[in-house]
Amino acid sequence: MSWFHTLAIALATITLAYFAALNVVYLAFTAIAWRDLNRHLRARGHAPDDEIFSSPVTPPVSVLVPAYNEEPTIVESVRSLLGLRYPLHEVIVVNDGSSDATLGRLREAFDLVPVRKALRVLLPTAPIRGVYVSRRHHHLWVVDKENGGKADALNVGLDVAGGELVCAIDSDTLVEADALQRMIRPFLVSSEVVAVGGTIRAVNGCEVRAGRVVKERPPRRLLPALQAVEYLRAFLAGRLGWNRLGGNLVISGAFGLFRREPMIEAGGYLHETVGEDMEVVVRMRRRGRRAGTGEQVVFVPDPVAWTEVPERARILARQRDRWHRGLADVLRRHQGLAFNPRYGRVGLLVFPYFLLIELLAPVVELVGIVAVVLGLLFGAVNIPFAVLFLLVAYGFGLLLTAWTLVLEQWTYRGYGRLRDRVWLLFVSLFEGLGYRQMTAVWRLRGLIGYLRGRREWGVMTRSGFTGDEQPSA
Amino acid sequence: MLEALGIGALVLAVLSVLFLVALVLRRTSLARAERRRNELEARLRPLALALVDGDEVEERELSAEERAILAEAIGRLSRSVSGEARERIGEYFAGTEAYTAEVGALRDHRAWRRATAAYRLGDMGCPEAVPAILRRLDDRDPDARAAAARSLGRLAAPEAAEPLVHTLVSGTVPRAIAFRALLDIGPGTLPVLRTLVHDPDQDVRASAIELLGWLGDASDDSAVIEGVSDPAAEVRARAAGALGRLASADGADVLTRALDDRIYFVRLHAARALGQVGEHAAIPALVRQAREDRFEAARAAAEALARIDPDALLAAADEPGAGPHLHEAADLLRV
Amino acid sequence: MSETLPAPLVLVADDDPDILDLVRYRLERSGYEVATATDGVEAVRLAGELTPALAVLDVMMPSLDGLEATRRLRNDPATAEIPVILLTAKAQDADVQEGFLAGADDYIRKPFSPRELSARVQAVLGRR
Repeated sequence: MSWFHTLAIALATITLAYFAALNVVYLAFTAIAWRDLNRHLRARGHAPDDEIFSSPVTPPVSVLVPAYNEEPTIVESVRSLLGLRYPLHEVIVVNDGSSDATLGRLREAFDLVPVRKALRVLLPTAPIRGVYVSRRHHHLWVVDKENGGKADALNVGLDVAGGELVCAIDSDTLVEADALQRMIRPFLVSSEVVAVGGTIRAVNGCEVRAGRVVKERPPRRLLPALQAVEYLRAFLAGRLGWNRLGGNLVISGAFGLFRREPMIEAGGYLHETVGEDMEVVVRMRRRGRRAGTGEQVVFVPDPVAWTEVPERARILARQRDRWHRGLADVLRRHQGLAFNPRYGRVGLLVFPYFLLIELLAPVVELVGIVAVVLGLLFGAVNIPFAVLFLLVAYGFGLLLTAWTLVLEQWTYRGYGRLRDRVWLLFVSLFEGLGYRQMTAVWRLRGLIGYLRGRREWGVMTRSGFTGDEQPSA
Repeated sequence: MLEALGIGALVLAVLSVLFLVALVLRRTSLARAERRRNELEARLRPLALALVDGDEVEERELSAEERAILAEAIGRLSRSVSGEARERIGEYFAGTEAYTAEVGALRDHRAWRRATAAYRLGDMGCPEAVPAILRRLDDRDPDARAAAARSLGRLAAPEAAEPLVHTLVSGTVPRAIAFRALLDIGPGTLPVLRTLVHDPDQDVRASAIELLGWLGDASDDSAVIEGVSDPAAEVRARAAGALGRLASADGADVLTRALDDRIYFVRLHAARALGQVGEHAAIPALVRQAREDRFEAARAAAEALARIDPDALLAAADEPGAGPHLHEAADLLRV
Repeated sequence: MSETLPAPLVLVADDDPDILDLVRYRLERSGYEVATATDGVEAVRLAGELTPALAVLDVMMPSLDGLEATRRLRNDPATAEIPVILLTAKAQDADVQEGFLAGADDYIRKPFSPRELSARVQAVLGRR
């Protein structure tokens, strides 16, 4: 019995220490976020947006939209992208061999005509069937190709793009009208910047018209609301903090802005990975650092894009499973970065964080819970310890979330109505009461699945932008 | 030890709740203040519009708060207007408290305050502020420098032309902003630009020539034409670009010769410029470039053909071995 | 007997409230009546309903940009004759060309002088 006691206590204490350390890190991030958000807000008082917009040398942007079976939403989505506030941008839709009427809808809505476009084949991709331009909008191109996956479609986009910068988005992401204008700023300030990301928020519950969010509302259901809270914290108290501590390793696949040349030189997106959005950023950073051409990845806290989060637990489970497999894959592919001083803070700080905290968190968390519960049952662990464990592990986390919420509403837009903010605070109570544990289980499953060799994607059903629920497949 | 931790946790929790409550209260009071300011602004807006437009306004007694809000409203409107409306705004702000405060804030120890001051002074439109703003171009803080550059453009200060060109070269101000500022200063930059095109530094020459393309006139043709033969490729390329913008007919010959330049981006800009000038004599050379040159230069040549002579382009595209760029340009022509 | 002609109606469309206010103020002082819209769709609709003597359209507007709105006005016989002045902050020459190709009668860059805009309005209306 005593070895069991010792083991239980040992595991529980280790987990406790892990959580304590974790929360100190999050606390530091939140403090940094507080300062930086304030700074960012103050910068609005002298933001030369008008001049950037009207300058003839503001760099052109190519917006890449990989589309696979997006028939219900593609036209609305493209229309809103054409209407982005930016002096010079083109929209390149890559139809990745859709089996539905995606191409047909586009052809009809935008009066597409085939064009023998001169193509550079800088990146190997699946065969292209044809290129079209819109008669009405000369900056709208549609590339029709055989199915090859999202990474492949993006690479085709990279080959076709003419702009100095490329914006890679998911075709169901709703982009704010000013998004490009806001995200361009780090590129203008320094030529070392290779990628910029912004805050992505959950569109579930918002009122959407003509591809734009007209009323911001948090999701009404518990599960998507929990995700909305999670996203807020992850972006504002996570990614913003990394700006100062070595730069981000992740730019969300839903919306990111990149310099085209370094991206192509690094080889474009990788097909064989599930975490292609993170993988390309890591690779760009490595290459940029080695070649001395610049490796800065900046996060802009402005809200820039909206995406639909899963409403059903089953879909969310597959998403988190896939994300964790993707993370594991990227870390494995780039393990040369781990603790490697040649890569500066990325090697010594950022990568180890992703490895030890992001990747292994679900393992530690679940082991800890099991240890505490069993320990309680068998008397190895006493009640005060268990309460302390709960406080450190979840209570503190709850506090941090609450602070982040207040932070966001204090400094930024937040949700306008008091009842919306109260709802989110209430929702964050449940994070520790089941949500985190559930996601830990799914992430652990992903990790185990990865180690055993699972590599495939899941399927997310789209409900369209209006928020109507569709029965999941 | 565990008890200590427990008490610590409890204290932390209580502090946090208090903190949250304080934040919520502060947010509510801020919201109230903002509502009040919006009301005041709505009431003062007609006055602001009248002042900007130049109507006769009866001088009303305004409270300090109202004057501040009026100043802000006029400052914002100032961003949308040019010409005599801007002069009026400058006259309004001259000597006001708001103006003096911002000039003083240019030396604030907080970087963001300096940046905001530099920016606001651009909105206020008082030319007397220019020397002080000019000094901010050397500020430690990049935002302050950018705001200063922008405001110098808004104030159309010719003294700022040379320093701004140097920021283009050194990169201390984002290129888009410095360039816009120089365009805003307009003809006031010409004396400086005409000197700088002969500068020993090739980057300075390149920037000066590029700007001459935007702001210069026929008298600058010869300087720009000279630039197309400059030893530095970047200067040659930008000179070619400038000739296109100046649409100088004299430049056509030198541009056609530039199609044989060793460096591809010079060929690219020369082709583009020939398209803008509309030089028919360059058609055969352009067709050759569109067929044989590397990607970007070939594409530029094909696009130039589309502008100069659509029929010639269509004919060239139908020839065997025309190549992808001629095909693309021809297809786009038919769109 | 003197006849008071109704003041000509000018439609102004811009998503920036400052621009709308400035333009409306100046045009009303110059003796025009002004109707406003904040996006392209509304502008086209109002143009159809009110048949203004002239339309001043911002190029960068949500829903429907100024260029597309101009094209729609030209394509509809009811509004095809309405002269259009485009307002823009963009500096690219291609846009000016596209504007004229779309059917605009004049092009004004932002920042602009309200009095000059008023003078152009007068000139364009005088031409028609």
